[in-house]
Amino acid sequence: MLNQLTKSVGRVVRAAAIAAVIGGGIAAASAQDITGACATFPGPIYTKWGEQYKATGAGALNYQAVGSGAGVTQIINRTVDFGASDTPVASERLASNNLLQFPAVIGAVVVVVNIPGVDGANLKLNGAVIADIYQGRIRMWNAKEIKDLNPGVTLPAVAIAPAYRADSSGTTNIFTSYLASVSLPFQTNVGAGNSVPWKTGVGAPGNAGVAAAVKNTKGGIGYVEYAYATENGMQAPMLENRAKKFVKPTVAGFNAAASQANWNNAPNMAASMLNMSGDTTWPIVSATYVLVPKNPSDPVRAANVLKFFDWAFKSGGPAADQLHYIALPKAVQDQVRKKWTTISANGQPVWK
Amino acid sequence: MRTLSPAVKARYFRRQAADLIMSGLCIVAAIIGIIMLALILWMLFSKGLTGLSLDVFTKSMSSTGTGGGLANAIVGSLIQVGIGSMIGAPLGMMVGVYLSEVGKTSPFASVVRFVNDILLSAPSVLIGLFVYQIAVSPFGGFSGIAGALALALLAMPVVARTTEDILRLVPQAYRDGAIALGSRENEVVRKVILPAAFGGILTGILLAVARIAGETAPLIFTSLGNSNWSTDLTKPMASLPIAIYRYAGSPSADLVQLAWTGALLITVGVLLLNVVSRVSLAAVKRGQS
Repeated sequence: MLNQLTKSVGRVVRAAAIAAVIGGGIAAASAQDITGACATFPGPIYTKWGEQYKATGAGALNYQAVGSGAGVTQIINRTVDFGASDTPVASERLASNNLLQFPAVIGAVVVVVNIPGVDGANLKLNGAVIADIYQGRIRMWNAKEIKDLNPGVTLPAVAIAPAYRADSSGTTNIFTSYLASVSLPFQTNVGAGNSVPWKTGVGAPGNAGVAAAVKNTKGGIGYVEYAYATENGMQAPMLENRAKKFVKPTVAGFNAAASQANWNNAPNMAASMLNMSGDTTWPIVSATYVLVPKNPSDPVRAANVLKFFDWAFKSGGPAADQLHYIALPKAVQDQVRKKWTTISANGQPVWK
Repeated sequence: MRTLSPAVKARYFRRQAADLIMSGLCIVAAIIGIIMLALILWMLFSKGLTGLSLDVFTKSMSSTGTGGGLANAIVGSLIQVGIGSMIGAPLGMMVGVYLSEVGKTSPFASVVRFVNDILLSAPSVLIGLFVYQIAVSPFGGFSGIAGALALALLAMPVVARTTEDILRLVPQAYRDGAIALGSRENEVVRKVILPAAFGGILTGILLAVARIAGETAPLIFTSLGNSNWSTDLTKPMASLPIAIYRYAGSPSADLVQLAWTGALLITVGVLLLNVVSRVSLAAVKRGQS
């Protein structure tokens, strides 16, 4: 009995070993694959692009949404082919780590709410009120400040439950930069950055985590990239823009902001699109950035990354529209391609 | 019948009551444990079964809206757990044999035992970070083999511990008898001790496999995860725990569904391993008696 069992197990182990060797032999076919550690803000569009790119047969994108902070760290450690961050990385840090930064696509941050009995999509909010909510100064949905913005709307006496990003996040940076620009108290008490000392609320990981937290909390409020709001069927209130008009989050509104970006004078192509003028302009819009090594050790893999984004610039527009992202203007795309020519491996340019 | 003094009676009843209360508490604790497991299984089956389809096994992970499955994650998990076990189990067995048969109570064996126990209780995320430093950073990329290495490091101490414990259960008379018949020390271990303890060692290995199959933290830092089909050990590799980790918090309902289905697959797999290990152990025991 014992002997039989020993023998049969031995046979299984041998079969498994052989299978593993064969499996290893079949592998290694997918040399075109590229790996990115990325912000979650552009997650939906990068994943979609990756899928369409794979369908063209050019190669596959392995996109792992880890948050902006981690995305930058991994490309600095050179453990991935590209990193992505919604926060432009400072020039000195780019230089000291030999990184090239370029914008890939433009998206918008919206506020999402979950207020029982209230149509959140038609609620009106402004930067000052949101800043006060996130500082714990406005605690109830029927507070005077919110009522004043929404005459005629019956607001329930429900406590406000703010949610914020627990990880180091570019979305947080975009959102807090906007709040700090419209609220002096917020700027002094909380400030802008990838992670800030929030005065109230609960933390959740990733855009998806914040969306889930708001969805599951009565009286919840949070901030996410617009695709997360639409795909999750969440209510995004109107915001007051610089022209003192209340606007709904629409692609037209995002476009109005994106079209005003001053790309030519922006260092490292980090052009601001926050709180732009215009009656229809959505106030919280930003580009998201890709980081690649300037001196890649593997020129083929580096070229594959550039090929992917070149394809995305050329053919990724429809997918961007579908997910409510804004493709980069053509002139900016050409500017980015020109920057790619500065990348070289062993003295040879990677992008020709 | 002898009459008991009131003092003795009172003590008797007090002891009876204490016994009743303590066994009651134990039973309640056991029931709570079983209910927890039942609730977890119920939740997994009710939420995971609806998403179970052929696509889960035949298609790779995909972004929302176009469906997709877990084929790459399942295969990735099998490869990494398989290689991890193939490295970790023999190493662990050898350590166990050394501790029980060779080193015994020597100072060096005590140190090895102590270090092994520390490894056993080390947070798995630390193992992941360690492998990240030695096998990811220097080689310029996350890889399936790094993931397998991290899992091997987790399996090794478990196997070492159980092997040592099981070998100690083998009666000393077996060793004495074998030596009396003229066996060398290595023959005693190979031909007598190991076969006698085989069932227990196998159980230990299967338990170690079950443990590493569900590990997420060490894989995040080593094999990263892969949204595409890949069996290349030098590239990032998908795995079920990471797929669950990434999908569970997703805003898309079908990805959350896939996470539930993946969780069901892991749980059923681990449960089956546990059952198989127990049944095989029982069979071996029957064969011996």
